Amino acid sequence: MNVKLNETPVRTSRNFQINNLKLDIDIPTKIKEFENIEIINQESKITKEIELNDLVYGNGEELEENNIKYSNNKIRIETKKEDIKLIYNFDDKNLELINQIEIIGNNDANIIIEYKSNTDKKCFHNGIIKTIAKENCKLNIVIVNLMNDKSNSFEAIENDILENAVVNYTIIDLGGKTSVTNYYSNILGVNASNDLKTIYLGKNEEIKDLNYIAELKGEKTNIDIDVQGVLDGNCKKNFKGTIDFKKGCKKAKGNENEFCLLLSDKAKSIALPMLLCTEDEVEGNHSTASGKVDNKSLFYIMSRGLSYKEAVKLIVKSNFNKIIDRILDEEIKKEVLEEIDRRLD
Amino acid sequence: MRTKVEDINRNIYDIKNKDNYEFKIKKGLSKEIVEEISKQKNDPDWMREIRLKALETYEKLDLPTWGPDLSELKMDNIATYVKPKSDLNSSWDDVPEDIKNTFDKLGIPEAEKKSLAGVGAQYDSEVVYHSIKEDLLKKGVIYTDMETAVKQYPEIVKEHFMKCVPINDHKFVALHAAVWSGGSFVYVPKGVKLDIPLQSYFRLNSPESGQFEHTLIIVDEGASLHFIEGCSAPKYNKVNLHAGCVELYVKDGAYLRYSTIENWSKNMMNLNTKKAIVGKNAQIDWVTGSFGSRVSMLYPMSILNGENAKTEYTGITFAGKGQNLDTGFKVIHNAKNTSSLVNSKSISKGGGSCTYRALVRVSENAKNSKCSVSCESLMLDDISRSDTIPVNDIRTDEVTFSHEAKIGKISDKEIFYLMSRGLSEEDAKAMIVRGFAYPISKELPVEYAVEMNNLINLELEGSIG
Repeated sequence: MNVKLNETPVRTSRNFQINNLKLDIDIPTKIKEFENIEIINQESKITKEIELNDLVYGNGEELEENNIKYSNNKIRIETKKEDIKLIYNFDDKNLELINQIEIIGNNDANIIIEYKSNTDKKCFHNGIIKTIAKENCKLNIVIVNLMNDKSNSFEAIENDILENAVVNYTIIDLGGKTSVTNYYSNILGVNASNDLKTIYLGKNEEIKDLNYIAELKGEKTNIDIDVQGVLDGNCKKNFKGTIDFKKGCKKAKGNENEFCLLLSDKAKSIALPMLLCTEDEVEGNHSTASGKVDNKSLFYIMSRGLSYKEAVKLIVKSNFNKIIDRILDEEIKKEVLEEIDRRLD
Repeated sequence: MRTKVEDINRNIYDIKNKDNYEFKIKKGLSKEIVEEISKQKNDPDWMREIRLKALETYEKLDLPTWGPDLSELKMDNIATYVKPKSDLNSSWDDVPEDIKNTFDKLGIPEAEKKSLAGVGAQYDSEVVYHSIKEDLLKKGVIYTDMETAVKQYPEIVKEHFMKCVPINDHKFVALHAAVWSGGSFVYVPKGVKLDIPLQSYFRLNSPESGQFEHTLIIVDEGASLHFIEGCSAPKYNKVNLHAGCVELYVKDGAYLRYSTIENWSKNMMNLNTKKAIVGKNAQIDWVTGSFGSRVSMLYPMSILNGENAKTEYTGITFAGKGQNLDTGFKVIHNAKNTSSLVNSKSISKGGGSCTYRALVRVSENAKNSKCSVSCESLMLDDISRSDTIPVNDIRTDEVTFSHEAKIGKISDKEIFYLMSRGLSEEDAKAMIVRGFAYPISKELPVEYAVEMNNLINLELEGSIG
């Protein structure tokens, strides 16, 4: 099926090839319940009853409709103060996941959501994660995509962040032949804050499409987006980041930074960092940069006896380090580091 | 306390002359109209064919699905060709009194005496005055109006006309190619370096009309040129259209500085297209000040085709009440060791909207290229709008690329610092706004284009409150 995904909130010239992502993909329907999932928690209330409203942006009409109609896993979490882990294990019997996760942040919580393939077969994931961070609550949410190299992964994320609430999001986007993320943050309450950090690593013919949109609506709200990526082979990456200062967000601040390390002269990196502003008492900054591995750093590390490949791995991991450190679960952190090594071999 | 910056003083630019034309084509766009323009201009057959082909392309292309709203523009209400009651002259004394007075008030003849090597002045659809200094003629420099160039240098024009900017680039390029009239042609021979600039000034007086001038500049190998372009129009209640086209060829080792001071009236739709093809070791610098028009969509473009080619873009946009100025810069790195430096600033006030829209593309073969982009936007009140929409498309690893943008209001800390040094709050804010614009305004050709002082009349002192 030909689909148009991840539309930018504001269009620009069609010739720039960034307004949306066009793909020809198989979207499964009528699939059985996804069974291989581990839920690790103590006190938070976890149910299956979710009533999602239409997404503000999302991953396009077709995928949203597919998710609403054919969802084979739903999880609603009302947080208590604790660590929560959701691990979706794709295997030969569970190759397709169309899921919904709703997180109601009543209390501070650390939530890790991991998707990983324990199979070589092609997997499909079409997910929606909706978060409401209530007044004064602090949520640390980590998403880890370790799906295999044949898989397609589509994730649509939406946040409503209320007064004095803090949402720290970390997206570890390593897996999948195609990985598409739509992230929308509705930063509503006075002093509400959202910090989003992402790493991505693409290689071969993979496609990475990241569309991050933050709307600052409340006074003294804050958004901080930091994206660190590596591209190898013929991989193509689109990063679209929008910070939208809406009327009334007096004294709001928004920062956005993307750095893309290019390991191949065939890789393509497109970035569209947008600042939209209808309020004067704000501060908005964005920066993007691309380049290859610094020769001086390589020389220094290799002069200490490491091979070229080991040196590159070390540099990549040092770029990613401050983001990987946000994974509080040591086991998952180890899996992430091993996956980075594997993908750079 | 809020900083209030006055609108640009437009008294001089709003002088309206009677719409006293020799010939005005009927409004709208059709094959008959295009053929009539071609007949009026006594086009050779090849040019007539280009016009008709362009009209076909125009009809096939859609309006852009992005950018400012263009729904107010009705081609059925626009006269695409207005011939003033004047022939092309080489002496200001021969230019009719009312037209001469207009250019006098804009300061063009005065600037010509003081600091320009040549001047072209277009009034509505035709060039009414063109001159160039004798010594440049002797060096082989050609500076003339486009119609003369089509007839006197057909081979050069044929080789370059609508080649840098292809007819199907977008709808308004196709429109331009169908109905173009006026504009300047410049050829600077190999190795000739012009020490002082040439300037063309475009004035649109007639209401409900369009100006479609074509500028074609070829700076041959090792040559150098500074070209200044100025534009203005008085304000009418009906929409006017400007869809000019600028094609620049900067050959190997050549240098071109292209400065534009654009101060169209606030009923103008300014849908202009400018591109440069830059050869080996060559450089083009764009300096742009956009102050006027109701709607602007203007994104000069450098295509760096030769090794070591360079480009710099320095631009400032000032949008006041009722203005939607969508401007920016495009650069394509197509060869090794190319470099680009972009510095853009914008100021929005009184409900005006500024958008910085841009493209940087570093293609596969542009190894060791460098690109640095910086854009800053200043919001002077909470009823205005400022957007930054840059696309950075990097297709090779051997590249150093950086882009940064800032948006915000005047910093309280800076005001505090300056006030602690004895300045009043008014003076402190005025100084900060001036300082914000300074890196760009210092690059504008103030000393040559006399109208500059009138254009950036920010009138900061006494207007802060």
